[in-house]
Amino acid sequence: MRLRGYRDGDRALLTGRWLPGELLGLPLPGWPPLAEPTTVPPPSGPGDELCVAPGAFVRYTDIDWVGRGARVETGRAPDAPTPPEALLEAAVAHGFHRLNLRRLYGWVTPAAPAPTTALTEAGFTREASVPEHLWLGGRAVEREIWGALRHD
Amino acid sequence: MTDLIPLDPASAAAGLREAGEGARGFLGVDPVTENDALLTRRLAALDAQVFRAGDTLVGAAPNPHQPRQAYVASTSADEAALRALLGFLVTYRRATSYVALVERGAAATEALRRCGFAERGALRDHRHRSGAPVDVLVWFGKAAETCPS
Repeated sequence: MRLRGYRDGDRALLTGRWLPGELLGLPLPGWPPLAEPTTVPPPSGPGDELCVAPGAFVRYTDIDWVGRGARVETGRAPDAPTPPEALLEAAVAHGFHRLNLRRLYGWVTPAAPAPTTALTEAGFTREASVPEHLWLGGRAVEREIWGALRHD
Repeated sequence: MTDLIPLDPASAAAGLREAGEGARGFLGVDPVTENDALLTRRLAALDAQVFRAGDTLVGAAPNPHQPRQAYVASTSADEAALRALLGFLVTYRRATSYVALVERGAAATEALRRCGFAERGALRDHRHRSGAPVDVLVWFGKAAETCPS
């Protein structure tokens, strides 16, 4: 599967019930009905790239075009035809080979059920953890940074 | 107690440029490869505040996902300057924890260690400096006491 560029018609994909800035943004079970859904802004400026797969988006942000690195976040609709593993694989392939980046990283929240095997299979490893980094469910929870490097 | 002098965006960019090598990676900006206009824009995008404490520049930016946490940075190993910044964040920003991303071997590491920060991991080849990728260490500190009010 390959990602395609974002168009204005894809705007509905940018709002959903996943954690903000999450590397693998899957819909969170038990989202409080009164809580605002997470929204991603449309791309603006050269530090942002937004791509789309069926039912999901991949956002490359804080892109450092000199050091060739970017933070990745994704969001997937609950009924999307793209499985999370394929989405991550396409995100890594697009970042490394089409944007020609050397490093990709992103936030992972252990408090939310995230399939870490999908992250490992896509080439990410856990690099650091930051306590109290995200406000979730009435308390500050720990977040981890997972990163992938292109070896060439 | 070291006094903090808040800097406006233009003098913050000029001060970081003067600090030179020590300011590389200060809240993620790099005054060696970025010009003043870009520095100002990037600091504004982070909602960062930069202060002068003696010869040292210290800065803080809020964590957008957790308002009680702040990213902090310093250009030197001066412990008193960093302590003054942490005290300011507790009193005026009600911060309860801090994160610092510093390159391996940076001068600020010593100040962070003395202020009770702990290393939480290393981001591999996270930044590019002088032709080679360098690791960035993640340091985490907890506020000793919270805002009394």
